Amino acid sequence: MGDPQPRRLEEILAHEAARIAGLFLLACLQVTLLGLPSGFTLPLVPVLAICRTLLGVSAAFPDVGLGRALRWALYGGLALDVFAATPLGAHALALLLAVLVVAGLTRRLRVERPAVPLLAVLVGMLIYETVLALFLQPGGIEWRSYLLVVVLPSVVVALAPTLPLFLLLRRLLRGQL
Amino acid sequence: MRDFLDDRPVKLRRERSPVPASLRPFVLAVGLCLLAGMLVFLDRRGVITPARQMLQSLTAPVARQLTGLRDDLGAFLSAPRGTAALEARIAALERENGELRNQLLRLEQARVENNFLRQQLAIQQAHPWTLLGAEVTVRSPDGGRRMITIARGSREGLRPGMAVIGQLPGPPAALIGIVETAGPHTAHVLLITDVSSQVSGRVIHQDRAEVGLVQGQWQRGSRLQLGQITRDLELAPGDSVVTAGLTGALQLPFDLAAIPPNIPIGSVDQVRVLDQYQIAEVRPFVDPDQVGYVWVILSQDD
Repeated sequence: MGDPQPRRLEEILAHEAARIAGLFLLACLQVTLLGLPSGFTLPLVPVLAICRTLLGVSAAFPDVGLGRALRWALYGGLALDVFAATPLGAHALALLLAVLVVAGLTRRLRVERPAVPLLAVLVGMLIYETVLALFLQPGGIEWRSYLLVVVLPSVVVALAPTLPLFLLLRRLLRGQL
Repeated sequence: MRDFLDDRPVKLRRERSPVPASLRPFVLAVGLCLLAGMLVFLDRRGVITPARQMLQSLTAPVARQLTGLRDDLGAFLSAPRGTAALEARIAALERENGELRNQLLRLEQARVENNFLRQQLAIQQAHPWTLLGAEVTVRSPDGGRRMITIARGSREGLRPGMAVIGQLPGPPAALIGIVETAGPHTAHVLLITDVSSQVSGRVIHQDRAEVGLVQGQWQRGSRLQLGQITRDLELAPGDSVVTAGLTGALQLPFDLAAIPPNIPIGSVDQVRVLDQYQIAEVRPFVDPDQVGYVWVILSQDD
């Protein structure tokens, strides 16, 4: 299913290495250049992973597209873990769950509508932040204040670049959809 | 969207399949989630923590560079634009600079005062004196008289005849002069090196002591001279000279009875014999010309 001809192993490995390097670069940009004066960071990697999921599930071969989106989530999450000094896998698992839920919810939707990427990022970021909170705040959370102080602002910050990033990504990946 | 093989536009699907094409992506998702969860578990157990830390150390230089770039960019973007904004910014910075300089000055003054108070405390712990610290405000403008003016006066209890001591790093606190006149807020101190200064002194040689007269010699090319020491006591370089506390008995023009005994003055440098007496050149422990802060001995505890 998907590619008409099976690719060679070295080709697959080269593609994966390029994907890993690219996502490490994006994660590096996120943690260094995209900090906001308010203390939040523009969540470039999560937003891109969610947008990639939308494009993947709406492509001609959704299984392949979703598989690639999941790998984006894994590599991007691991890269964030490396840069953020969190337990390796924490960001990755949060992002994988967010991507999985978004994929499940948007299978029946038409992603060309602007509201779909926004809703997808909204839902995805809520899941992402919640799972991260569970991993990174093991001592118990006062959820009401955490929601107001951390989660909601993070989601709003994530929504701001969603549409431009979605359109840019769709343009860049047009050959793979 | 265009297909990359035949360059024809590719449309995203409009009609969605109600069922997944296969279970493959979900199996992959579960597998990746398990992998991530296992990584978290292993990292929390410390198994892969060294690998993560190694990756962090590898990426740290790049991250540091990029963060510096962002900071520079932020500073550039937040910098004022236009002449008016720049002038306002310069004015604000100048105000801030002035305030900071004032604060620095106050801190430096406090530090200096703190040092003087520490010195005073150490002197008072070593000697039974009640001291009053004073800054030297004016030094001798010429060689006519060796005097200084200090920023304390009769309002603070100063009286003519009181001993004034100073201290420099190394030697003990020692006599540098005597209050000659005291105004309400300032006092003039005649330095012991002035040729008109005469103080009764006691020279200590081994276990014996002899009383003599310490006279200033600055205008004669040296510092101090100890005279009227009989030849019974054989002086030697290095012998210490302290105040004898008898100056009041010398009936000098001003009251010197307030000088307590045993204030260090200096040490014998050279000795010469003149008739029945010995005369010693004395090197003061504290050069009166070098002190910037002095203490007046107000009283002595008996």
